[in-house]
Amino acid sequence: MNSDGMNSIAAQPSWDRRVNNGEAAQRLLDGDAELMLRVREGDEACFTALLERHRNAVIHFLYRMVLNQAVAEELAQDVFLRVYRFRRNYEPRAKFTTWLFRIATHLGLNWIRDEWHEKTKESLDQEQDGATRQVRDRSRTVEQEMVYQVRLREVRQAIKTLPSKQRAAVMMHKYEELGYAEIADVLRCSESAVKSLLFRAYESLRMRLAHMA
Amino acid sequence: MGCSLNKSVAEELIVAYAARTLDAHTEADFERHLDSCARCRELAAQQRAVWSVLEEWHPLPVSPDFDRKLAQRIAHTKPSGWWLHLFRIWSWRPLVPVAAACTVLLFAFFLKNDDRASAPAPASQSRVRIEQQVEHALDDMDMLKQIGVDVSGVKPRSSQKI
Repeated sequence: MNSDGMNSIAAQPSWDRRVNNGEAAQRLLDGDAELMLRVREGDEACFTALLERHRNAVIHFLYRMVLNQAVAEELAQDVFLRVYRFRRNYEPRAKFTTWLFRIATHLGLNWIRDEWHEKTKESLDQEQDGATRQVRDRSRTVEQEMVYQVRLREVRQAIKTLPSKQRAAVMMHKYEELGYAEIADVLRCSESAVKSLLFRAYESLRMRLAHMA
Repeated sequence: MGCSLNKSVAEELIVAYAARTLDAHTEADFERHLDSCARCRELAAQQRAVWSVLEEWHPLPVSPDFDRKLAQRIAHTKPSGWWLHLFRIWSWRPLVPVAAACTVLLFAFFLKNDDRASAPAPASQSRVRIEQQVEHALDDMDMLKQIGVDVSGVKPRSSQKI
């Protein structure tokens, strides 16, 4: 295929369709909306089911956003509390996960902004951000573990240098496996803006982490 | 030799190639392009390497008391009294403008009645009052006659002219 053909393929929205995000994902998302509708009607057990389903994803996303496990869990509680409070207003117009990650992103970005203004950021070197609580992988030797911790610190430092919106986009794309359309929905921007945002973010990371590759 | 791909398309393909989200057909096409484009080849290889480095960042385990704390916070948000619960029921909200309209109408009604009550007495009421005064005056004259007082020279009062 020539380059024109490649250009036209790339322009089509279907070319980047994720292999695993097929019917199963659609069923899951529909299931989320159904559960949320039942929560709206007062079924608290369905809220527990939603919490079970998305708790870890929201906490992990927020942890990578704010780089602090305790803050991430606090913010995740705020996210689910808001979902619970607004249950009566819920309308399944968008995917439930879009709504959920929009709340999480909003809270995460606010926290980053406030922290930035207050200038009370803890130093990554002081390891007060929850990283020290990470359970050591016993399959690694002590040397391997030390190398791993150094690499991890560099990754976290590189992530921290990203502008907050780029950081959110990378976290959703890389770790939560959200598609461009859903990330655009969460960040309230166009898909092309998300693609550009992601490329710039990955380029920044490439320049900072090239020596580790 | 420069890249034959549009800049934004090339960027999009490189990110998707690194993320391994291209379908097999497009990936094969892109790899053919990489064979002929050194710049894209280098960028794509480095992006895949970065992607692998990012894979090393595992999340931390979630605190075991996360759900308990959340349940406590939710419990605090629940209304304590039945009246609060009723007040928060969504179906009450459409009644608010109706209630406001009724209040305004009632207020206007009472205001109008109050105006009517405080208005000056009409002519028929003052006439009745004068007649009562005349009757009282005549009664007084009868009483004076009974005790022997000559009232023939008494000039009638102005109210008695009517």
